[in-house]
Amino acid sequence: MPHDPYKALYVHLPFCVRRCRYCDFATEAAPSDNPAIERYVEDLCLQVRRASKEGELGAVETVYLGGGTPSHVGISRLSMLLYTLSLSMRLEPDVECTMEANPESFDARMAADIWALGVNRLSLGVQSLDDEVLGILGRPHDAQAALAAIAAAGTRFDNVSVDVMCGIPGQSVASLADTLQRLVDAGAKHVSVYPLAVEEGTPLYRDMMRGRFPEPDEDEQAEAMVAAKELLERAGFHRYEVASYALEGFECRHNKAYWTGKPYLGIGRSAATMTQNDQRRMRVTDGQVTDDLDRRQMYAEDLMLGMRMSEGVAFELVEEASSVLPDAKQAFARLIELGLVERTERSYRPTEQGWLQGNELYGALFDLA
Amino acid sequence: MTIDPSHIRNFSIIAHIDHGKSTLSDRVLELTGTVAKRDMQEQLLDSMDIERERGITIKSQAVRVEYTAEDGEVYQLNLIDTPGHVDFTYEVSRSLAACEGAVLVVDATQGVEAQTVANAMMAMNADLEIVPLINKIDLPAADPDRVRAEIEDGLALPADDAVLASGKTGEGVRDMLEAVVYNIPAPEGNPDGPLRALIFDSYFDAYRGVVALVRIVDGSMGKGDRIRMLATGTEALVEEVGARRPAETPLSRLSMGEVGYLVTGLKDVSLVKVGDTITAAAGGVDEPLPGYREVKPMVFTGLFPIDGDQYEPLKEALEKLSLNDPALIWEPEKSHALGFGFRVGFLGLLHMEVIKERLEREFGLDLLATAPSVEYHVYKQGGAMVSLHSPQEMPDASEIERVEEPYLKAKILIPPDYVGAVMDLTVARRGSFVNMSYLSPTTVEMIWEIPLSELIMDYFDKLKSSTKGYASLDYEFDGYKESKLVKLDILLSGKPIDALSFIVHRDKAYDRGRVLCDKLKEIIPRQMFEVPIQAAIGGRVLARQTVKAKRKDVLAKCYGGDITRKRKLLEKQKAGKKRMKSIGNVEVPQEAFMAILKVDE
Repeated sequence: MPHDPYKALYVHLPFCVRRCRYCDFATEAAPSDNPAIERYVEDLCLQVRRASKEGELGAVETVYLGGGTPSHVGISRLSMLLYTLSLSMRLEPDVECTMEANPESFDARMAADIWALGVNRLSLGVQSLDDEVLGILGRPHDAQAALAAIAAAGTRFDNVSVDVMCGIPGQSVASLADTLQRLVDAGAKHVSVYPLAVEEGTPLYRDMMRGRFPEPDEDEQAEAMVAAKELLERAGFHRYEVASYALEGFECRHNKAYWTGKPYLGIGRSAATMTQNDQRRMRVTDGQVTDDLDRRQMYAEDLMLGMRMSEGVAFELVEEASSVLPDAKQAFARLIELGLVERTERSYRPTEQGWLQGNELYGALFDLA
Repeated sequence: MTIDPSHIRNFSIIAHIDHGKSTLSDRVLELTGTVAKRDMQEQLLDSMDIERERGITIKSQAVRVEYTAEDGEVYQLNLIDTPGHVDFTYEVSRSLAACEGAVLVVDATQGVEAQTVANAMMAMNADLEIVPLINKIDLPAADPDRVRAEIEDGLALPADDAVLASGKTGEGVRDMLEAVVYNIPAPEGNPDGPLRALIFDSYFDAYRGVVALVRIVDGSMGKGDRIRMLATGTEALVEEVGARRPAETPLSRLSMGEVGYLVTGLKDVSLVKVGDTITAAAGGVDEPLPGYREVKPMVFTGLFPIDGDQYEPLKEALEKLSLNDPALIWEPEKSHALGFGFRVGFLGLLHMEVIKERLEREFGLDLLATAPSVEYHVYKQGGAMVSLHSPQEMPDASEIERVEEPYLKAKILIPPDYVGAVMDLTVARRGSFVNMSYLSPTTVEMIWEIPLSELIMDYFDKLKSSTKGYASLDYEFDGYKESKLVKLDILLSGKPIDALSFIVHRDKAYDRGRVLCDKLKEIIPRQMFEVPIQAAIGGRVLARQTVKAKRKDVLAKCYGGDITRKRKLLEKQKAGKKRMKSIGNVEVPQEAFMAILKVDE
């Protein structure tokens, strides 16, 4: 179908040194010299070249190398991939180019190389600076390695983000607060805070089923999310999405593309591509169509995703959506009554309750279509 | 061809549930060549899906087979299959009245159980010749000698000649048929007298109208005859008579002693009542056959569509099911909490479950059932009596002089070790002990009077679990008795929810209220707001609980591919909510309305 140009590019690198105990992502544990990784990256380069040739990369404003653990594949393969990207699209400093890295496979050498090849934002998987918590999660690094990685990143990168988990049974609010404070002190500009979700099929899930690991407690998770918010806001961060905090100017543009209905191209195993035009929005993963939305559903989704962000949705968008979703304004009125949404001068935005009761809020908007 | 009545045998197979009646019936069809083996569907006589799944028989059936006995003569055997559950006691009695004999099936491993005794008593009361049969002798745990002794001690039936059989292997089935031919008498009556026929089942067929299963007692009946039903006064033209083999085979006439079906063309099944007498419209008799009675529902429940749009479809579905089930009665009911629905009366809990399941399965309805209730008799000041089918109709306490509730006479069979356990349980359920006797050294029979409302709580489950599964239970209606009953209201977020209120004995109101509040706290999921749950009598709160507000309900990660997952999750959440009823701001799951049935003491 004729479609709007892609604004964001996601490249997936599904390899890790080993699987963490909570992980249900599309990744596999493989030694970094495994020839399968070599073949996979070569294939990625071919796909990037093809997409470029077909003109699909001409309007891309953000690039995200995610995983898995991109740093695990090693500098020579990363160099090949980044060089291919720089030949295939405009990869100048105004294009946000993020790479994910893990402390056990990242050092100053890698920071220097990938920075030189166009990466300008680094996202480090830290999760916690409490070795006991890292042990529960089965992370392949300790707190010291995480701090060393942040220091290494600092040799080149100004824009460093860290991922942190909260609401883990065995993790106190004090432990979480300590982690966040030390990350802020180490110079992180962006923090993502996620409550632990124990997914079916993971070792943690099996432990939980056998009673060896307690089920995460919703109240404790809520408490942790609130504590994280308070600490980060005191440190000058603002929450721009339910789980994302940034200092001024360090919001992740790539992630915001997902939440504002911008089309994105995914390259690599299990990477999702969203293609759309005025009438239709589709998502495709590994050649399978996973979503096929009409105009009504598109608007409902935009409203729902918009309400993940603190800026919420502008009245103009609601007005526009009302042309196909006549109940939209009524739905917002009800959500305000329920205390999940508040009005600003130009938009609807989630309240604190709206953050915590996200499913209630998103569900109400999703139901519009 | 008119058959000599001396070559007719009408008999039934009676058994406790699961003792193998249906399998034996199938073997009879197979052995007599009525149905070829390759065409056999498991348990052919139980034709309804739900019957087959639950292994029980709900409607009566009658199958005619031709059997060449060892004396070389051909006999017409009419096998009448009866409903196998206490809910259908009256139907069973009418089916038995159409027979001269019964094969009493007893499981070779389980022995005599309460329903075995009850069925045998019924058969004896109906003056039937009883052929004892010990089934499942192929099982390793089979103990025919013990079971024989139980039959002799417990039922006072000679069991030396009991047939030993296995429905599974087919062994002994021929012995059974020989015993039927030689021990069960041929029908007696006046072949040339005025017509008298007993209706022992009836159902509605969309193409042919009401079809009845009948036994000709005197005279004969054929196509074109005008007939009259004595109890209802209905007249009809006989459109067809015949026998089931098991496919319907039209015959010119049904004569004295025969069993068969009758097609009337009538459109209303309530005109052709089980137990009624058919005679000739002109020159018939006025004296009905004995034993007819009106069928009355015992248990009532509110049925509400979860989706209000399904009210009309529910009404149509009930109308359709009623065509075939005169015992099913219903009237519109309105609940503040649940909207429009119906108050439906059933013969018993099994009947209720089956009907609800059929409504959901065959008609695709999503239903919410309120806790079953019984019919209370409320005598108001000044003497007027009100029949109450629903707790909602309970008048104000100040207007009530007294309340009466239905009692049952329950018969419980247990090994002697469990007498104490049954005492404790049944006294706690307001039962009063009548007497106790040893049927055999290993079987005690206890007789109790117990309120029906207590029995429809989880009494049977509790009885089973407190006796390690050994107890068996049978009961019959025993009249109305005065009780100190009050209406207990349940309030959610301060508002009384009519569909959750119930009637309870005053002395138990506090305990029931407290336990129910605890149960509801478990069942009602946490919501965005705190939900207080209260149990109250006339504004006085007896117990309270609180469902805490949900603090967090969000899966945070939502990047490229997660968005699809997120949508799926929200769809699931929506489907989950569909199974709940939104009352005010509170989402209440279906089980909440049945929670009162599951209160542990």
